[in-house]
Amino acid sequence: MRRALAFAWLRLRREPGRMLLGVIGVTAIGALLFDMLLLSNGLLVSFRERLDRSGFDVRVIASESAVIAGPPIDHVSAKLTELGREPSIAAVQRVRVASADVADHPSTRHLAVAGVDLGAPVPWTLLEGAPPNAQASPAPLVINRNFARTFHLTVGSPVVLNGRCGDASRPLPLDATVAGVAEFQNDAADALTAATSSQAVAALCGERGDLADMLLVQSNPAAGGPDAAAAAIRAAFPALHALTNEQIVERFSRVEFSYFRQLSSVLTTVTLFFGLLLITVLLTVSVNQQLGEIAALRALGLSRARVMAGVLCESALFIGLGGIAAVPIGGLLSRWLDAILRSMPGIPADARFFVFTLHALEVHAALLVIGAVLAAVYPMRLVATLPIAATLRREVVS
Amino acid sequence: MRRTASFLAVVLLTWTALAAAPAPADVLVSRQLLEREHLAVGQTVELSSDAAGTAARPFRIVGVYEPTPDPMRFAQERLEVRVHLPDAAALEDRLPSSSLTSINVELRDREDAAGFASDVERRLPGLTAKSTAAPDERTSTFAVLDRFHLAIAMVTVFGSGAFLLALMVMLVDERRETVATLRLIGLTKQRLIAQVLVEGALIAVAGAAFGVLFARAAEPVFNRFFQWRYDTALVFVRVTPAIALRCVALAVPVGLAASAIAGWTILRRRALLTVGR
Repeated sequence: MRRALAFAWLRLRREPGRMLLGVIGVTAIGALLFDMLLLSNGLLVSFRERLDRSGFDVRVIASESAVIAGPPIDHVSAKLTELGREPSIAAVQRVRVASADVADHPSTRHLAVAGVDLGAPVPWTLLEGAPPNAQASPAPLVINRNFARTFHLTVGSPVVLNGRCGDASRPLPLDATVAGVAEFQNDAADALTAATSSQAVAALCGERGDLADMLLVQSNPAAGGPDAAAAAIRAAFPALHALTNEQIVERFSRVEFSYFRQLSSVLTTVTLFFGLLLITVLLTVSVNQQLGEIAALRALGLSRARVMAGVLCESALFIGLGGIAAVPIGGLLSRWLDAILRSMPGIPADARFFVFTLHALEVHAALLVIGAVLAAVYPMRLVATLPIAATLRREVVS
Repeated sequence: MRRTASFLAVVLLTWTALAAAPAPADVLVSRQLLEREHLAVGQTVELSSDAAGTAARPFRIVGVYEPTPDPMRFAQERLEVRVHLPDAAALEDRLPSSSLTSINVELRDREDAAGFASDVERRLPGLTAKSTAAPDERTSTFAVLDRFHLAIAMVTVFGSGAFLLALMVMLVDERRETVATLRLIGLTKQRLIAQVLVEGALIAVAGAAFGVLFARAAEPVFNRFFQWRYDTALVFVRVTPAIALRCVALAVPVGLAASAIAGWTILRRRALLTVGR
């Protein structure tokens, strides 16, 4: 096999232009194939990483939806007290989301304001300023960088917010002070996001009820972890839906993210078929041009298996060289494609569509090996069934 | 919210005889829900706003509807029912019956939509009003997907262009001696280049036309697969004249460039050297 490989290499080197063009073609197709493999699981891997990074491992909402879309959870304080007694639960955070405008600014884009329990673990990472104090007056506001940039706010700046909570009348404006600038989980790159105490958000919307859109739970690993915490929540409040990070990822992989997986499967199939066809045509034309040479080699004593192995090695060299080059090129290409997809509105700033995994690399290599073998089948058949004497005679006559 | 309230339903009991209870309210169910739960028109079902079936109410299925295909929600199962607004409010007993998620307004003069929306926002400061014709996130989402697909198409064209060039070089190389003989009997380089270009153009146009026809033939296959996969009436692939023209406009120049380069590689050699003299 080594001699067949060396022979195939010599034949390819004899036509460097052809080899280079073939390898460039395989590289381009291989890079696309590699990117489709990165895309097939990328969003899910990135989503899982972001969920795990958040520190909360169970999410509780009042509907079956995996996102905030249903009715709010009522009597939250009583529920938090009861959940606090569960040994499998380490901490619980409440989240109420409202919409608001900054007073005296055009309201073309509304802010998303989250009301949370400032004494519990918070779903953001503080970049500037100090952790907000729930007792402070005016209401302490933690804002994202985009909000700070858009409205020229810094730590200590006063802000007046007008709630847009769906009522025909609007409650009184809420006076607030910027306590910090933070990075929020699942924040879109262009989002205007802020957070304050749940009491301040209730005042912003004129709500009297003790409501939350979602509860974020940190489980206690020593008492069974997220599964035990979710089970305890379901047992205590059957009307609520508790989902662990694992269950959310599983649900998103089945429903919300399935489009990119399907798209990547279709494109992987098409790309592979296309690449296979092109390599087959290239090898077939090449073999057809060298039929006389191959017949002469056979006449000199090279076995059928040896010339077939030569064609297989030629295919392997084309695909191997192109496939290896496709990995870094595909990596660069994926950054460009990722930047395009991440410009979609509402995509979290730290979400990635293309994520490198060892599994993707292994599948890429396996598909290329299968491709090299399949692409060589027809040209191998051509050299295997070559009539030696007739071919040599035709060569001499022509 | 659309014209009627719709929400995820929990179908609890079927074929229930409710002689003593008040007449069940009417409900429309989505085709997907009807098929999944093996329901039938005329059947009485009980609906509740939570999975535990608290305060379930009887409803009679009076019809089935196909949900309006929504590209933003195509991956979600459309397990929906539509009930009259008072019935929805009664089911959702957590919220005041006067609460609505949204109101759709049909204007007499559609041109006035933007003015009407700003008027509503001014008069009712807690509400957000938007014209349905205004550009929204959906437009930019699909514009981004369009750019993504174009980028993939460009990479594919680049890769296939390299292959095409390799093939053209090999094909022209095969005719090396013929080309040299034609040069020796007096045909100019320009004439031979033109011949190669015309040949390349014919191949490129034929290839592009075949590609468009193949895409047109594959269109129902793709659509049926994705419509089956996502149980939706959405159309995923549509080969429009504009897309076909864009495809030809991308492919033909690549074919022409490959022919020109291949022709140049053989014609730059001296004819006598090519025939071995």
